[in-house]
Amino acid sequence: MNPFELISPQLAILIGAGLILVYDAIFPKDNRYLPWMALAAIAVSVSFAISLAVRGEYHVGFEGTYSVDKFSVFFSVVFAGIGAAVVFASMNWVDRVGRRKSEYYALLLTATAGLMFLAGARDLITIFIALELSSIPQYILAGWGKDERSGESGLKYLLLGSIASALLLFGMALLYGLSGSTFVPEIATFIGENASDNRSLLILASTLIIAGFGFKMALVPFQMWVPDVYEGAPTPVAAFLSVGSKAAAFAVVLRIFFEGLNAEILSNDWAMIFAVLAAISMTVGNIFALVQSNIKRMLGYSSVAQAGNFAIGLAAIAVVGQEFTLAASAVLFFVVAYAFTNLAVFIAVIAISRHLESDDINAYEGLAKSAPLLALALGIALISLTGIPPSAGFWAKLYIFNAAAQADLAWLVIVAVLNSVLAAFYYLRIVRLMFRNVEDQIGSAPFAIPKSIGFVLGITVLGVLVFGFFPTPIISVAREAAAIFSIG
Amino acid sequence: MSFYDTWSAVFIALIAGVILVGTALIGARLLGPFAREQGKSISYECGMLPTGKNWTQVHVRYYLFAIMFLIFDVETIFIFPWAVRFLDLPSHAFWYMVFFVLILSGALFYAWRKKVLEWR
Repeated sequence: MNPFELISPQLAILIGAGLILVYDAIFPKDNRYLPWMALAAIAVSVSFAISLAVRGEYHVGFEGTYSVDKFSVFFSVVFAGIGAAVVFASMNWVDRVGRRKSEYYALLLTATAGLMFLAGARDLITIFIALELSSIPQYILAGWGKDERSGESGLKYLLLGSIASALLLFGMALLYGLSGSTFVPEIATFIGENASDNRSLLILASTLIIAGFGFKMALVPFQMWVPDVYEGAPTPVAAFLSVGSKAAAFAVVLRIFFEGLNAEILSNDWAMIFAVLAAISMTVGNIFALVQSNIKRMLGYSSVAQAGNFAIGLAAIAVVGQEFTLAASAVLFFVVAYAFTNLAVFIAVIAISRHLESDDINAYEGLAKSAPLLALALGIALISLTGIPPSAGFWAKLYIFNAAAQADLAWLVIVAVLNSVLAAFYYLRIVRLMFRNVEDQIGSAPFAIPKSIGFVLGITVLGVLVFGFFPTPIISVAREAAAIFSIG
Repeated sequence: MSFYDTWSAVFIALIAGVILVGTALIGARLLGPFAREQGKSISYECGMLPTGKNWTQVHVRYYLFAIMFLIFDVETIFIFPWAVRFLDLPSHAFWYMVFFVLILSGALFYAWRKKVLEWR
């Protein structure tokens, strides 16, 4: 099979990004169609990815460094969907900024393609290059806004991200130095044979790799950048960071740790690291989120706490050993539920902040009166983030807690449930504020929601509800995608 | 082969290099005469006297030229080995390179239309 066919979804997006730039260079005045070109590129990419899956073309290409399997197709479609949602959510904001529109969409598409490459990469160097391909546009996008805070957030993200990349490279260099290969399956063979001789070095390598990706996931000791960057970055970009970048880091960690470092002698150690990081992330994220008055900062800390929920799944997979597909599929289901829910929250916040011209949580008081549909949408999304049925977030949490309980991580489940109660307090506080009856609220002028934002908000909230009532299709897809790890 | 057998050559080269350079430097220090004068620290010991400060600021606009340089730099890096092995390569290698150069000229086209090539 032609290797270029394997990466056709990414190529479609990258070519789309190039065409957008060239089109803008030729017709600088005519920039109304740029977002639609971006959406067309994403649509072509999704159809390529689905056609690969439907034809059953699961192959490994480029000397084994890139693999098309159910797992990578699953994530490719998820990332393309996230990219499309962010394009919709950005349209109005980019028009208002009014400069360098083509570059914005081209960078967004490049970052999306980088995330899609990450999902299928099976070689440490490919993983690193794909990570940088997605990170560098994100650094630029975080600083896209006109104000100082946006520049600060971009610079912070760049500097801290570079440190995280350096830590990741140290870990990868150690793995390469020990096994003599950058190819993940070959590292797995080496570890299967020689893990006991080099155990301490392998644990050091795992720790450094966890630190590198922990930055992207926003797990606790590496979370310092999250609230500042989310607050300063343009809200659509913050949505992309909190959903796309995080999900990609979990996809790569699943691949490196379950395909590469899954020897019994080692897996219990890194599972313990993930379990401890999960417990700390949930607790710290939730406690700091409680006291925030800026909605974007609060969502930043909430994103840290949610990363803890994801990490429960990672801890559970290793402990179960052979039956880890349950926990892996739980992580995949969580990715989908979280993507819909968090995108819905961010898009609702974009619409509300645009009207109120403020990110202050107290300004949301009495919102249900002036914008009932918007308040309802944000309410449903927040209920899903809390994990209350009937919402996608409820099944995601149930699934991942179940996997942890099966893996004898009862203490972690108890910590997680206590944290859910803590989280309910600040999520539901916003719902209560919005539906409180106030006589003369400030933002009583009728809301005008741009069509693009209304459309994508509707889709994401619908997703939250549909997968809340009928989670089985996504669960079965997630099971199939996770099953690729059960053979190794 | 053990670790030391494999890498002994590298270690010997390393030690020999340190000794060689060290001997030269220390020997020159011990044997040679030294005279420290003001005139010795200027850029050119003979000829014109340098004027102004040695810390010159470079215009920020040059960064665009540095980035533009990258396009041609990458082009050279890939075309050079391709050209050396050209006769042994299969025929589609030519079209691969045409496609590659087309992508890079797209970047040049973009830069030209965005007025990067003009000094403003």
